[in-house]
Amino acid sequence: MSQDVRKRNNVKVSGNGTQPMLFAHGFGCDQNMWRYVTPQFEDDYRIVLFDYVGSGKSDVSAYDAKRYDSLVGYAQDVLDVVHALDLEDIVFVGHSVSSMIGVLAANEEPERFKRLILVSPSPRYINDSPYVGGFEQRDIEGLFEMMDHNFIGWANFLAPAIMKNADRPELGSELTESFCSTDPVITRQFAKATFLADNREDLSRVKIPSLILQCSDDMVAPLDVGEYLSRELADSTLRVMKAVGHCPHMSDPEETVSLIKEYLSSPVPA
Amino acid sequence: MSKLGALLDRAPCGFVSYSDDSRIAAVNSTLAERLGYDADDLVGKPFEEILATGSRIFHQTHFFPLVKLHGRAQEIFMILRGRDGEDVGVLCNAVRHERDGITFTDCVMMEVRERRKFEDALLEAKKVAELANATLEEQAVELELQHQQLQELAAEMEVQSEQLQAVNEDLERQRAAADEANLAKSNFLAVMSHELRTPLNAIGGYVQLLQMGVHGPVLPDQLEALDRIDRSQRHLLRLINDVLNLSRIEAGHVDYRVELVVVSEVVESVMPMVEPQMATKSLRLETAIAPRIEARADREKVQQILLNLLTNAIKFTPRGGSICVETSADSTSVMLRVIDTGVGIPPDMIEKVFEPFIQVDTSRSRSAEGTGLGLAISRDLARGMGGDLSARSSLGSGSLFELRLPRESKPAESTPS
Repeated sequence: MSQDVRKRNNVKVSGNGTQPMLFAHGFGCDQNMWRYVTPQFEDDYRIVLFDYVGSGKSDVSAYDAKRYDSLVGYAQDVLDVVHALDLEDIVFVGHSVSSMIGVLAANEEPERFKRLILVSPSPRYINDSPYVGGFEQRDIEGLFEMMDHNFIGWANFLAPAIMKNADRPELGSELTESFCSTDPVITRQFAKATFLADNREDLSRVKIPSLILQCSDDMVAPLDVGEYLSRELADSTLRVMKAVGHCPHMSDPEETVSLIKEYLSSPVPA
Repeated sequence: MSKLGALLDRAPCGFVSYSDDSRIAAVNSTLAERLGYDADDLVGKPFEEILATGSRIFHQTHFFPLVKLHGRAQEIFMILRGRDGEDVGVLCNAVRHERDGITFTDCVMMEVRERRKFEDALLEAKKVAELANATLEEQAVELELQHQQLQELAAEMEVQSEQLQAVNEDLERQRAAADEANLAKSNFLAVMSHELRTPLNAIGGYVQLLQMGVHGPVLPDQLEALDRIDRSQRHLLRLINDVLNLSRIEAGHVDYRVELVVVSEVVESVMPMVEPQMATKSLRLETAIAPRIEARADREKVQQILLNLLTNAIKFTPRGGSICVETSADSTSVMLRVIDTGVGIPPDMIEKVFEPFIQVDTSRSRSAEGTGLGLAISRDLARGMGGDLSARSSLGSGSLFELRLPRESKPAESTPS
């Protein structure tokens, strides 16, 4: 089982420390997005990286449309990895949608988690007055349109070829290389699970201390969202970064690393 | 501006370069003007300002990580947002370049109009096909469900049918048993009646001999006693005869001598038999008899039925009342009706009066004497002749009994040969 999960989720373990840092990638990408950050923690931590089923180099045959219909299925991927490696005392680092996936996993088994580091998190992307998520439903439709157009060639010409040639996985690598996605249908469903999710009610159940890394000028998760999270999450620390955009760990890994290190060196609130 | 720079500024494609903090470092006029800006307006602005909202998410979740991780991106479709809100679809090639210690993402953008339309149509067709497929799948599921329901229904009906058949068979058995019991009863009654009549006739004969003084003088008190014995014997004999008649009819042992009978003649032959009793109770007789109507019937049986109906009418009509006998006919039947102004029959009893041994008011009929078999015998006889006997009544204002008999048989219809 544990071997299966390692293979299924393309789990990579490195580092010299004992306390695990579990890095979870966001929508649209894979574990490679952490490559500018993780080397800075290898001396002190056991680094665990993985791809969600359907992303990166995960085993796409393990994909179950029902299971991954909501973020709960992705949280189960996190817990499966945790169990496979029997991780405890975990520092969980989740980007974007993985912040909420981490919240769900930590609510499920809080005794395993020590701290949550939420990078550009949002509990809900669609506005719900007075809550500001930053998007309207039609904006999300626009994202789907973009995805459809970019996956159109793949979906119409390559996908049938892959389905007929299960023994030739290199056919599917083209999209994986370009978009970190294994299958446009899966990616689209992940997009739905991500951008149509509403995890606001899960926040009050979080008992683990957390760091919220909020970029200034993040089009995907605006400042209002960061402030909302810091109000709703007990034992949370909100840091508004100089970095802009939605991917500070890629656009400004130095600031990201330093804020995480600063947080981890502070004592855990009683 | 260098010569090449000037060429790039007006080249037939968009060019934009931005840093990782998303600031536009350079943009050519072709792109800026297509979006409704001056190139200078855009420099320093966030790159996302020229992206449609959906593209901003796509840029952050797909495009930027792709370029950052691989150093380049090719043929990525994005939707730009013009100053006036216009959506401009472009295909984008990007590459990362370091200049003066800063890494920039340099993008070439080619507007796609016709190709986008074609792709939109393709996507739309795909969506329609997917929807049709989903609908078909739903319909298949629905059909499967209906099929299952039908099968269940069929199974249920099969069970019901079996149950019905079982009930039918049961009823059939019960009916056969009842028929058998009825036949046994009729036979028993016939035999018993015969066995009872013989000693009763002996009683009657010896009473007559005693009354005639054959065995010596008879005192007045003794005569009166003999008279009572005689009346009782005759009543008992009548009762037994009725029972015998009924059982013979039911056992199918009655022969009918069917002939053309003039109904008015039958009425005339019966009336004298009841006139004395009517006179005793001061009952008025009214008749409306059509002359010369003929029925196909057994004359004696019709007499017997009419006599029974009249006897009943007299019995149950109070003093001073009236009894009417009338006839009518239609193309197939002759009707003979006896109408009285008697006590009538309650609606729920109207059919029961034709059942053997039934009388509406037991206390009254006892005083009026009767076997309770008369109407049962009469109806059986009427039906035996191809007719029927029915009754109508309203409680308190009298009863109507109607004997219906077949009319003389119709001439055979001529058929073309």
